[in-house]
Amino acid sequence: MLEIHDLRKVYDGRGRHVEAIASVTLSVAAGELVCVVGPSGCGKTTLLRAVAGLLPVSGGEVAVDGRRVTGPPPGTAVVFQEYGRSLFPWMTVRQNVELPLKEKGLPAGRRRALVAGSLDAVGLADAADAHPWQLSGGMQQRVAIARAVAYEPKVLLMDEPFAAVDAQTRADLEDLILRLWRDLGMTVLFVTHDIDEAVYLGQRVVVLSASPTTVMEDLKIDLPAARDQLTTRSLPRFGELRGHVYRQIQRARAHHDDARGTP
Amino acid sequence: MSATGPPGDARPATAAGDVRVRGAGAAGDARPGGGVRVRVLGAVRRVVCLVALPALLVLLWWAVSGSSFYLPGPAAVGRAFAETWFSARLLDDVLPSVGRLLAGYALAALLGVGLGVPIGSSPRLRATLEPVLEFFRAVPPPVLVPLIMLLAGIDTPMKVLVIVSGCVWPILLNTVEGVRALDEVLADTCRMYGISGMSRLRWFVLRGASPQIMTGLRQALSIGIILMVISEMFASSSGLGFTIVLFQRQFQIAEMWSGILLLGLLGLGLSLLFRRLERWVLAWYHGSGAARA
Repeated sequence: MLEIHDLRKVYDGRGRHVEAIASVTLSVAAGELVCVVGPSGCGKTTLLRAVAGLLPVSGGEVAVDGRRVTGPPPGTAVVFQEYGRSLFPWMTVRQNVELPLKEKGLPAGRRRALVAGSLDAVGLADAADAHPWQLSGGMQQRVAIARAVAYEPKVLLMDEPFAAVDAQTRADLEDLILRLWRDLGMTVLFVTHDIDEAVYLGQRVVVLSASPTTVMEDLKIDLPAARDQLTTRSLPRFGELRGHVYRQIQRARAHHDDARGTP
Repeated sequence: MSATGPPGDARPATAAGDVRVRGAGAAGDARPGGGVRVRVLGAVRRVVCLVALPALLVLLWWAVSGSSFYLPGPAAVGRAFAETWFSARLLDDVLPSVGRLLAGYALAALLGVGLGVPIGSSPRLRATLEPVLEFFRAVPPPVLVPLIMLLAGIDTPMKVLVIVSGCVWPILLNTVEGVRALDEVLADTCRMYGISGMSRLRWFVLRGASPQIMTGLRQALSIGIILMVISEMFASSSGLGFTIVLFQRQFQIAEMWSGILLLGLLGLGLSLLFRRLERWVLAWYHGSGAARA
């Protein structure tokens, strides 16, 4: 469903030549949930923006559903980290969710059903007529998720979506994503800096190196499919996987520092 | 606490009065009419606050008037006001003036927003045009009157053009600034969800830039009123500005003052109307600002 082949990204500006992504090759099968982790500043967001077609690449290729990405691919939705800036503050929650559906040309009845269904799924059926700024951060991110889900995407891209919410809300939203993913059968690429979150959510965890980025490891998460905040996180295997990913990222960081000549 | 105050307490509206209303409601106080009385007192207080300073100024005016031929008292000006403006002049001078003001203002708004959106969206266009635009904005619009008279004659088109030439700049430059500063995450959101063309303009660009656009429109309104008067002082035979100059030349001093009074009231009325409009258009902006604070 999602093919990234030898993706390269170089930022060239006024005498500065920054190689952000050296080479990333990665594929995500239809219906799979893959998490991408890496040390901070490793180009995770750059990778996701390239996949979303929001950023031109310097080399290599991204294909979604067999079609090469040159702009935002149809049937793809994104949930951004900055929930406060990704919702239109002048629209109500309902209007925010409905606008992409209008642009898609869906008839009014279908739109109403999708909006009601998705707001219900994220637990915000009562907040449809509120404005985003009247809601808490976690609720705003739920609206963004509802908007993505109502769009009926084949591929859902998430860019550190829960980095700015508190721990309890974060656990709730993680379970919400797992439920929606199972119910709707979307392909999900989930970028995060949180190792626990990656291991808890993913069927696979892709560990990136520090910039210039390559794939350090593509790890299969052999935890039971049914995940639960309490039991899954207390499994010995969860601890092993978590520790493994943690060591990998430490290694990436150390390697990066060596290359820069710092002790 | 003040629910225990003496029942006949007729202290005029103070902070304690407000507390008592709330306390009375919560406790199901058995004194009917107590809350109403305080509400009335509150309304009276607001009216007093509103009227006090103008009343004081009129009093001052009355005290110093009569000392000079050029400074008639409030009664004389009030009489002149009623006689002058509640007459055919309302139709012949006031309404055409206001009509030209609104026409010029509307044209300037269309032009300013219409040009501001593409300029704000394109960094290259902005880099090319911005110094020139700043220059035109810096030219005091009244000096354009003689030029515009040469180009457009001395009738209505000239006057409307003068108003446009002054009003357009704050609207244009503020629109450019508002469009330039549109949120990038929202722009990405539009791209991802295929929101483009007219819907992007309508739901994202214009709404997102509306706080700055409204700022430009507010500045333009006061400029517009000034230019309405100035455009009528040149080679004109009707309009508010012309009439005031005419009265001055004929030594109808009370009438002249009444014209100035009318202009002040007109400006006040328009700015109150504008504030209404702004509150409605920017309800989300003030709301989200309050939520952030």
